[in-house]
Amino acid sequence: MPREAEPSLNEKQFVIQALQENLRLDGRELDQYRPLELSFGDQYGLADVKLGKTRVLAKATAEVTVPYTDRPLDGIFTIATELGPMTSPAFEVNRPTETEVLLSRLLEKTVRRSGALDTESLCLVAGQKCWSVRVDVHVLSHDGNLIDASCLAVVAALRHFRKPDTSMEAGVLTVYTPAEREPVPLSWLHSPFCVTWSFFGEEGEIAVLDATWIEEQVRVGSCTVSLNKHGEICQIAKLGGTPVEAVALLQCVSVSLTKVKEFSDLLDRKLAEDLKRRDKGGFMAELRAENDR
Amino acid sequence: MASSQHVLLSPAELAYLHASLSLAPPIRPDGRSPTQFRPLVAETGILPGTNGSARICFADGTEAIVGVKAEVERTAQRSGDETVFLEEGGAGGDDDDEEEEAGQGLEKRKGDASWVEMTVEIPGLRDDDSGTAFLAAMLSEALLADGGFTKRLWINRRFHWKLYLDIILISPPLSYPLPLLSLTTHLALLSTRLPRLKSEGDEDPFFDDDWAAAPYLFPRTSSTNIATAKSTTPAAAIRPPITLLVMAVGNNIIFDPSKEELAVADVALAVSVTGSSPSHYAATGTGEEAGRNLRLLSIRTVDPPSRLTPPGLANAANTAYGPSNGTMGTQKMAEARAAETEAAEGVWRPPRGGAKRMVLGALVQKVLERGGVVDEVLDALEGVDSG
Amino acid sequence: MPLDTSTYNLALLRVDGRRWNELRRVHAQIRTQAAADGSSYLEMGHTKVMCVVTGPSEPGPRRGTGGGGAGGGGAAAGAGAKAEVVVSIVIAGFSSVDRKRHGRGDKRTLELQSTVANALAASLHTHLFPHSQVNISLHVLSQDGSLLAALINAATLACVDAGIPMTDYVAACTAGSTSTYAANDEGADPLLDLNHQEEQELPGLTVATLGESDRVVVLVCESRVQVSRLEGMLAVGVDGCKQVREILDRVVREKGRRMVQEGTVEKGIGLNEMDVD
Repeated sequence: MPREAEPSLNEKQFVIQALQENLRLDGRELDQYRPLELSFGDQYGLADVKLGKTRVLAKATAEVTVPYTDRPLDGIFTIATELGPMTSPAFEVNRPTETEVLLSRLLEKTVRRSGALDTESLCLVAGQKCWSVRVDVHVLSHDGNLIDASCLAVVAALRHFRKPDTSMEAGVLTVYTPAEREPVPLSWLHSPFCVTWSFFGEEGEIAVLDATWIEEQVRVGSCTVSLNKHGEICQIAKLGGTPVEAVALLQCVSVSLTKVKEFSDLLDRKLAEDLKRRDKGGFMAELRAENDR
Repeated sequence: MASSQHVLLSPAELAYLHASLSLAPPIRPDGRSPTQFRPLVAETGILPGTNGSARICFADGTEAIVGVKAEVERTAQRSGDETVFLEEGGAGGDDDDEEEEAGQGLEKRKGDASWVEMTVEIPGLRDDDSGTAFLAAMLSEALLADGGFTKRLWINRRFHWKLYLDIILISPPLSYPLPLLSLTTHLALLSTRLPRLKSEGDEDPFFDDDWAAAPYLFPRTSSTNIATAKSTTPAAAIRPPITLLVMAVGNNIIFDPSKEELAVADVALAVSVTGSSPSHYAATGTGEEAGRNLRLLSIRTVDPPSRLTPPGLANAANTAYGPSNGTMGTQKMAEARAAETEAAEGVWRPPRGGAKRMVLGALVQKVLERGGVVDEVLDALEGVDSG
Repeated sequence: MPLDTSTYNLALLRVDGRRWNELRRVHAQIRTQAAADGSSYLEMGHTKVMCVVTGPSEPGPRRGTGGGGAGGGGAAAGAGAKAEVVVSIVIAGFSSVDRKRHGRGDKRTLELQSTVANALAASLHTHLFPHSQVNISLHVLSQDGSLLAALINAATLACVDAGIPMTDYVAACTAGSTSTYAANDEGADPLLDLNHQEEQELPGLTVATLGESDRVVVLVCESRVQVSRLEGMLAVGVDGCKQVREILDRVVREKGRRMVQEGTVEKGIGLNEMDVD
């Protein structure tokens, strides 16, 4: 199995010592994110998140299937993550590494289990037909903090997504094409975001937000907090690592809340912009899209 | 299938072990007699959340836990079944009398191998590993061999119990785990109880909440209620099967081989046998003085690790000891080859080829002997206090 | 909600009759298994876990990733400067009320493996055993809530039994809150040591701390809860960990005392070399 090249001793020492002097390699504050870029594709449900050199693409799709027999009233909602060799040579296809398992579990807990998407609204005919919404997360470039970027991409993609409109008449289910009827957004309940803290130092006393890849390689522990802007914790995961004072963790959680509000505002703003861009009148918008090419 | 991991014994040690085990009577490294078992620790009913459970700890430190869980499942109706059941209609009315029902309806009860599901977990091995799959197959094969077992899971025409047997090896797999897993499964099945049926006929089954009233899957016939023992049919008194590892060195038959002994086995067999409870025979008097009717269910040859051991080299053929004149004559080469193919005293040669038919016959004879080793083992397991 | 929490306010008693700050019965044994370097058996209420530790030993050939379990230990294993902690968890099919088959590739199990491995790697002095591996194999026999906490506690005990040097006990327990996530009721009480029923219905978290300090090794919350609830839950959880640490410590000391009393220290096979010096 190929392994990631480790930073040299000098590099490690340099990063750690700088952090102890409250300095980061890229000149950020300890609790500052890298510049965050969020853009949507021409299609509904395609979100592209750039966080420094980390870039994650999420694509939401929907199709009509048969619901699970044990949950006849619920639709199906899956989040698929795959870290391939494109992301880093350490990742192999079809062989989930620990990173990938933890990432997919975190997204699962943050978005799916917290009930961000109302799966009951995906039900079309109880026990027979339902929507299956699937989000594919593609990590295009890995420079640390995959979790926060992926989570933002997933939430953005789902909120941007429109599924085809349907109607039920006399037991006949009709799915309309976008030309017939404007697609409808998903029934979205709340928008959770992940904020990942990395800890450094003997006692884990230095807490840093949005670690880059080299920082992630030398950190002694990490803690991911998922919150929505209403101050509800969806998930916390500090899976081992150097022990950290309980008080410091509480501090981290409250700082996370302000960051999550920023994310939430950014996403709302971007969605509104995108809506405005599309809302220039159906015919004109198509002409404009052609000119763009 | 290779029966164990590598044995770290030199050819000389293997030769010594083989020689001492081929003596008459054989001398075993731990001083046991050929039919003697190592002491083991066993307990049942350890997990209240299961229908039956058992834990066995062998002297070599290997330990296994088996849990049995039962769920009510709807029987898939097949065409043709109906006619069989119709004949039984008259007798089906008196379900209250469990024993009588068992006697009358037993022959007509249906069973299906899919009613039992068995999984084996061995630490460090993948669950789709061929080794674990093979172990599970061997264990369930013995259990389902006579077709009588699944009949016990019959509730009524529409429902049956689905029995899940989860077998977990707790310790690292130090030696071939088959006998340990089999004995633990046997014990867990002995302690398995299913809730008492309260519904009648073919209605949707409902059960007695009182766990104390739940009958055993394998009815216990202790000496205090010989009367009930008499009324049970021989089929009801059959105990779950056990699979033992028996090996032969030369003409000696050795029970419960340790890992090292297995490394010099000429032949190793996994023999599955079943018998009825001892009190049943004491009560009906059909048996002889002691012992029970043992029935052979299956025999599987186990590939002993001895085949993979490196052969020893006789001094005559060892160039390191011989005259070091550099050039080795053709005559010398021939001698060396002869030494490799012919057995020399004290030089280890891994066994080649199959087992002698005589030895195999004697082996099976020994296992099925009345009042023999298997009887002892079954008695001992029966004696393990449940709960 | 199937779990009726309304009665809690009347008598301040939980579904199983405990008060808010009561642990369930914890029963633990160490050195339960002769063939292993270290072993333990732990019950927290009806959650029952067995643990077997082998090592530190030379890392064997990897027999497939499926059974290998999750590795942890901070530093990359290839560097060999530290022992690698490898955890494999087997959740028995009969452990829950309804029989359920848990595959090895189950992501939840993998996450549990990785959490236990990383939690212990932080406490074990892995740097003393370069180029080696500590194998922790955990078996879940019965589940009734607080599974991760029980796994961590059992693994800690087994590592103590195996004689692997460690900073301190890693003790874990769960804490919850009687409030639902939506309600912002200030009257909500924190609860200690959730059972399965409470875990299903109420918000809760698992905390593991190192020794007697307030330093948190593991903090896992998998349910929706108001931020304001967190502090109370965490405080109760950390306090519970200290109680658990006391219990674990008592188990180890009791076993040690008995072994000295008996005069003969019954040794596991792999322990002979270690106890010589």
